[in-house]
Amino acid sequence: MRRWLRIAFPKTQFDRRNRAGFLFVLPALLFFGFVFILPLAQSIAYSFYKLPPGGERQFVGLRLYEKVFTDSTFWTAIQNTIQLLIFSVPATVILALAVAIGLNGIIHLKWRNVWASMYFLPFATSLVAAALIWQWIYDPVYGFLNYLLSMVGIPPQKWLQSLFQVRPAIAAVSVWVRIGFDTMIFLAALQSIPGEYYEAARMDGANAVQRLRYITLPLLNPQIIMVCILELIFNFKIFDQVYATTQGGPAGASQTIIMLLYDTAFKYFRFGDASVMAVFVFVTLMVVTLLQWRLFRKPVEY
Amino acid sequence: MATLPETRRVLTDRRAILTLRQAHYRWLIALAVACGAIVVFFPFFWMAVTSLKTAPEIQRVPLQIAPDHWLNLTNYFEVFKREPFLRYLLNSTVVASIAAVSSVVVSSLAGFGFAKYHFPGRDVLFLAVVGILMVPFQSVVVPLYVWMNDLGLLDTYAGIVAPDLVSVFGVFLMRQAIETIPNDYIDAARVDGASELKIFLTVVLPSVKPAIATLLIIKFMWSWNEFFWPMVVISSREMKVVTMGLMSFTNMYFIEYNLLTAAAVLSILPILVIFITLQRWVVQAVVMSGLKG
Repeated sequence: MRRWLRIAFPKTQFDRRNRAGFLFVLPALLFFGFVFILPLAQSIAYSFYKLPPGGERQFVGLRLYEKVFTDSTFWTAIQNTIQLLIFSVPATVILALAVAIGLNGIIHLKWRNVWASMYFLPFATSLVAAALIWQWIYDPVYGFLNYLLSMVGIPPQKWLQSLFQVRPAIAAVSVWVRIGFDTMIFLAALQSIPGEYYEAARMDGANAVQRLRYITLPLLNPQIIMVCILELIFNFKIFDQVYATTQGGPAGASQTIIMLLYDTAFKYFRFGDASVMAVFVFVTLMVVTLLQWRLFRKPVEY
Repeated sequence: MATLPETRRVLTDRRAILTLRQAHYRWLIALAVACGAIVVFFPFFWMAVTSLKTAPEIQRVPLQIAPDHWLNLTNYFEVFKREPFLRYLLNSTVVASIAAVSSVVVSSLAGFGFAKYHFPGRDVLFLAVVGILMVPFQSVVVPLYVWMNDLGLLDTYAGIVAPDLVSVFGVFLMRQAIETIPNDYIDAARVDGASELKIFLTVVLPSVKPAIATLLIIKFMWSWNEFFWPMVVISSREMKVVTMGLMSFTNMYFIEYNLLTAAAVLSILPILVIFITLQRWVVQAVVMSGLKG
């Protein structure tokens, strides 16, 4: 407290200087307070109130939680989201890792950059545009994908309009968008591994697979964990791709948790229910992030 | 002694075989990487090609890859005729520019404060800022919407840009960059009698130009591609940003893909041009954000 008073009423040059430092930080703090902390607190508060539009708010305790958590559409959305995660996260991470290792092996620097930037391009496009391009490729009648399949004799598939193919199809869009981002992270990490490690291993007669297994992967462990968590968070919040293409259909087969939150809040204006979902999403992702920090603290074993 | 030359010969042979095999192996990997890159690039190509076709052309059976006329731009004219697409592009430019500039200003100030001063609670506050990363935007969107409604900011530029003005990533990036400035420079300026704000403007900002460029680009890009919040806050046709404008060309029943892809090209092109020319900075930012989670 005394230190704060000294900053508020500075006597020395040093205090005055630090007051300036605090004032520099203040706008950012105010912004984060108003845009994240306060609304988060309010979201939590809303989740305990019944809030009919235009009507009087009414404290209902945990009733909204009970209502949302016993609603089958909520659990269907969670299930769909988890299925999407299962399709997209491992695929993205493994493919990105393979691409990064491949790129790292290309000695010709100019070509390496060309290929790398091609993988990176989808990262710059909006998820909406990406999803719409893919919707055209997936088109059951005139789409390019079915045309490719027809060349090897496979009958046309319904993709986004099929109850079973819609989730892998949407997950593929996420993979396409995210692969470049993850590749860049892996590539940067690969380039920081000293070449002597591989030299030494080669001297000892380690083959390529062994070098990958015993040098590259262990040294990349922190990045792999981090990318997995980033992808998990990114894909858990999936909204744009689904909204732009299937809007949760067919028959709710691609309804995700954020889609449900959006519809509940801004289509049906049930802010209380939506806030319960908001709190649920926040808590889930917080647990995931804290888990990440725990995993990071653990020393990496070689 | 007589065996020595023999051994050496075998050794060199084996090495020669090894390098030969390695060379093959390298070529195979390079080929696989290149094929993958082409697959990843294909949707862009397909989008561009489709935007040059007429409606009957895209419904031709069997499918034909090349358009009849490579310079057929009628779809693009049609996009501007059907929707105020120029307005959408303008809206996105305004919003993304404001977000990028404000982000640079606020983040570099905060980065300077966090990196070079010792006010009480500095480290705790910084940790709190990083902790904001744990709060998904979707969890705060309902109260934000209510506030915007109360403030009368729904469907205005101010309302669209408000939650986008600063990002934790920006503060992080600027702090990291400013930390590398030697304290001597700052002290030297102080000895010359410069105020703290003047030090910020004349010493700090010029030394972190690369970080500023990075933040400008990446923030512009993120803001341009934003979809969730605009969907919440925008209701009129004139205020739509370009991601929402794209949605005007889709509906549940019938989509004119030749128009949709033309609109998609228009929405992606500006950002892609910036992205390709300044890719070095973007990669830097990605690696940075990645390494810091």
